[in-house]
Amino acid sequence: MSETHESAPATPVFSVRNLWKVFGPKAHRVPGDKELAGLSAAELTKRTGCTAAVRDVSFDVRKGEVFVVMGLSGSGKSTLVRCLTRLIEPTAGVLEMDGEDVRAMDKHRLRELRRHRTAMVFQNFGLLPHRTVTDNVAYGLEIQGMSKQERRAKGTEMVEKVGLEGLGDRRPVQLSGGQQQRVGLARALAVDPEVLLFDEPFSALDPLIRRDMQEEVIRLHREEGRTMIFITHDLSEALRLGDRILLMRDGEIVQLGTPEEIVANPADDYVRDFVRDVPREQVISVRRAMRPAEKADGDNGAELSPDTLVSDAIEAVARSGENLRVVDDGRTIGVIDHACLLNVVAGIDGDDDGEGDPGKDKEVAAV
Amino acid sequence: MSTPTIPEQGEQKTSDAPSPRQPDGRPEQQAPPSGLAVLARSPKVLAVLVAVLVVVVSAAVGGSGVWPQGWTIDIRTPLNDLDGWLVDNREKSPIFLYFLLHISNSAESSVDAIISLFDAMGWIGVTVVGTLVGWAAGGSDLSRRALRTGGTTLGVFIACGVLNMWAPTMETLALMTVAVFAAAVLGLLLGLGAGLSDRFEKILRPVFDTMQVMPAFAYLLPLLLMFGVGVPSALIATVIYAAPPMARLTSLGLRSADPAALEASASLGASHWQRLWTARLPLARKQMMLGLNQAIMMCLSMVVLASLIGSEGLGDEIYQALGSLDVGTALTAGVAVVLIAVLLDRTTAAAGERLDATVTVGATRLMARIRMAVWGLVLALIGVFSAVGSSIGEREWPDVWTVDVTRPLQSAVDWLTETIGSGIPVLGGTVVWAKGFTVYVLNPLRSGLETTPWWALALLVGVIGWIVGTWRAALTGVICLGLIGMMGLWEKSMDTFSQVIGGLVLTMVIGIVLGILTARVERVERMLRPVLDTMQTMPQFVYLIPVIALVGLSRSAGIIAAVIYACPAVIRITAQGLRYVDPAAMEASRSLGATSRQQLLGVQLPLARKSLLVGVNQGVVLVLSMVVIAGLIGGGALGYDVVQGLSKGDLSQGLPAGIAIVCLGIMLDRITQPAGERPRD
Repeated sequence: MSETHESAPATPVFSVRNLWKVFGPKAHRVPGDKELAGLSAAELTKRTGCTAAVRDVSFDVRKGEVFVVMGLSGSGKSTLVRCLTRLIEPTAGVLEMDGEDVRAMDKHRLRELRRHRTAMVFQNFGLLPHRTVTDNVAYGLEIQGMSKQERRAKGTEMVEKVGLEGLGDRRPVQLSGGQQQRVGLARALAVDPEVLLFDEPFSALDPLIRRDMQEEVIRLHREEGRTMIFITHDLSEALRLGDRILLMRDGEIVQLGTPEEIVANPADDYVRDFVRDVPREQVISVRRAMRPAEKADGDNGAELSPDTLVSDAIEAVARSGENLRVVDDGRTIGVIDHACLLNVVAGIDGDDDGEGDPGKDKEVAAV
Repeated sequence: MSTPTIPEQGEQKTSDAPSPRQPDGRPEQQAPPSGLAVLARSPKVLAVLVAVLVVVVSAAVGGSGVWPQGWTIDIRTPLNDLDGWLVDNREKSPIFLYFLLHISNSAESSVDAIISLFDAMGWIGVTVVGTLVGWAAGGSDLSRRALRTGGTTLGVFIACGVLNMWAPTMETLALMTVAVFAAAVLGLLLGLGAGLSDRFEKILRPVFDTMQVMPAFAYLLPLLLMFGVGVPSALIATVIYAAPPMARLTSLGLRSADPAALEASASLGASHWQRLWTARLPLARKQMMLGLNQAIMMCLSMVVLASLIGSEGLGDEIYQALGSLDVGTALTAGVAVVLIAVLLDRTTAAAGERLDATVTVGATRLMARIRMAVWGLVLALIGVFSAVGSSIGEREWPDVWTVDVTRPLQSAVDWLTETIGSGIPVLGGTVVWAKGFTVYVLNPLRSGLETTPWWALALLVGVIGWIVGTWRAALTGVICLGLIGMMGLWEKSMDTFSQVIGGLVLTMVIGIVLGILTARVERVERMLRPVLDTMQTMPQFVYLIPVIALVGLSRSAGIIAAVIYACPAVIRITAQGLRYVDPAAMEASRSLGATSRQQLLGVQLPLARKSLLVGVNQGVVLVLSMVVIAGLIGGGALGYDVVQGLSKGDLSQGLPAGIAIVCLGIMLDRITQPAGERPRD
């Protein structure tokens, strides 16, 4: 899942530019108005009675990546993902899917998009209690107008795919929360969408089940390589799943980057606060932790690839008892020793102020 | 203005003064200085006290407080003219020819068609098909539910036959079939409209709110006016009376559907129709079933009552028997009505339960097919029996198999009346008590209300309305009183009002005591539940029968019937309110070592205040609707006028009284409805 951002293809799946969603009276005047657009959330509400749930957001979602949108409740992340398929109508901005203007679509085209190109998994499952599991899974196909036999076959197949063999004739109420969300997942997969949208799908589940489901998503992504947009308020979930993470606060982008960039290089104090308790060694790679090679280090000893996580490097260093070389394409690019590793764990690896330039992440965010 | 109750709540908690809500003037004298301070700070409490004081003083000083003669309007003459015009034009006017006549004809012919169908099927056919329908509604399998509903149906049909009530039962059932169908369709359409369109909902809701507080009695006259005595009037009155709950619950079901499921449906690209068919309507199924159940029960209640305007069947048997004081026959017919009520309620409830019953794995599709087959069988049997039914057996239940219970019942009732009515040594008896109640409670109450000046009463109503609800409620109440006065029905309305107050006080005392017991004692709850269930399904009319057996014709009889009728709802609401009190608060008070008395008085009752108010509101509405029906059994006042108007077809006597009843109902409803209850838009 980490073969990510260097290999960006030409057309992004979703391309979002200066997207706004403002709720309230005469909402459309806010994005265009320089003065209003610059106000803070509280002031905006006071002045206009409007709430800006999404403010001037721009990003690209690349084909095949898991794109995580993260933020606390009220940060606008759920609104943002609903804007993508216009379940919530955006107020202003440009929104393209595969280069096609989504906001300009008419009712039928939009329906086509929702039926075939995207599918969503919801926090509260959104299952129909009067239907069996299989019929729930096949619901999207029914809406597409597929024949009963065909969709039932496909539904059964999907039920098995998410690990619910033999439960196809049950009703949703007879399933546990985790199983219900598997049904939700199967329903989304059944329509074979280009993009899967997840709206905090696992936050209603208890921690163990949540982990199971995350594994399931990782497995599905590995097997099918489908583009996924994943909303969550759980940082560890974001770090586990995300190829890239978009951090939101009060409707605005705070930072956009890989998990490693966000943990190693927080854009501001808010993000720093956010990632403070993250076990850094499990996110940061040795490329970032290593020190330049010196003559004294020599050319012998075990090698590590630069993408190795620090936690793995710790184990290797502890076992071998000596410094390790970080080798990329047969070239030694650095050396990792006890001190480097400890610096990462302690959070004083110097990246914050030394090498890391705060502008870099901002640039990414503003792409 | 919009949240009048909040400051008071705070004060009730902080002071030891007795509830400032009590409109009896006592708080002023008993309250410690802090209480006086509270009064001074809370103008609304003060306003109530002043209003009460004004009422008492003016009643004592003024003598007679009847609405001034000069302010009444003569509405008899125009009403008589209208009546005359209607009688003259019923065959001529285009409104009748092209619109009302069609409705009335199709109503009549559809009921006739059903009756002749029942006739053609014969009693065997009807019983067999009925039992099968009951079984199918219960799930058409061998589960206990299906067998129980099937068995109940069979039992009820046999009982009605044995009681020699077969023919009227069939007439009632035929009327019910048409009325339920029409009410369900009408309710469904209105509910769909209200559920899908906010504007439609906004228009319909106040209409339904008002219809809900209108006593069933009030529906009869306008229809009599348009369609004359007969089945169409009865049928249409029934449909209008019973459609609102169906519409309300359909709309509620559509609106309260799981938003996540609807969003999921939209996100998969469903069109509006697809979303309605595949998600919204199925998700509302349970509420709609509940609505159907309520509509059916209201239909039964009205079909029976509509015997006053010409519906036939069991209601007519009761009405005729009541008229000739033949309690035996009335009781027999009443039993048949109760049996049908139980049957209809159980069957629809079973069908509703089935909706959320967990289905065993794998059996779903097979069962669905079996169910389809059973319904097919029902249709086929109807066909077969209607073709050959009358040749198998007689049309009606065979006479040899009937048991005449009316005479033994009558003598039992006579005996009862003698012994319990007045024969109990020292204590007297029910008749004696009822007389005492009339003399010592109702009469003083009535003369008190009559001597109170109308403006003082209006002031009191206004102030109470303003305190409990909003200024709008207060205004509505006062306007209603004004209308009553202007129609020249002040005295009669005060008579009815006094009965309502008497009944309401009794209802609240009994209801709250039993409600507290139900909420706190498991055994009482278990014992009362089936009784309350049955009582709440029984048509209003039926309550009158045992009461006249016990206390004879009098105002008290009506009030007792009203109390019995209104109590179940009040008990339910009270018990629910007490049981749903925040468990954390209860636990906190327990952990502080409160006795169960302290818990009840200090935590449960104050926290359940809102449900108690709802209980009062429900109690008022139910008591009023029964008190006016008691016009049939000596209740006098407005109810009597309506009965007279109905039986003589005298519009100028019945209609004003009917309007006055509605005014009284709206006034009482508004001044007892807590502000939060009604959504403001």
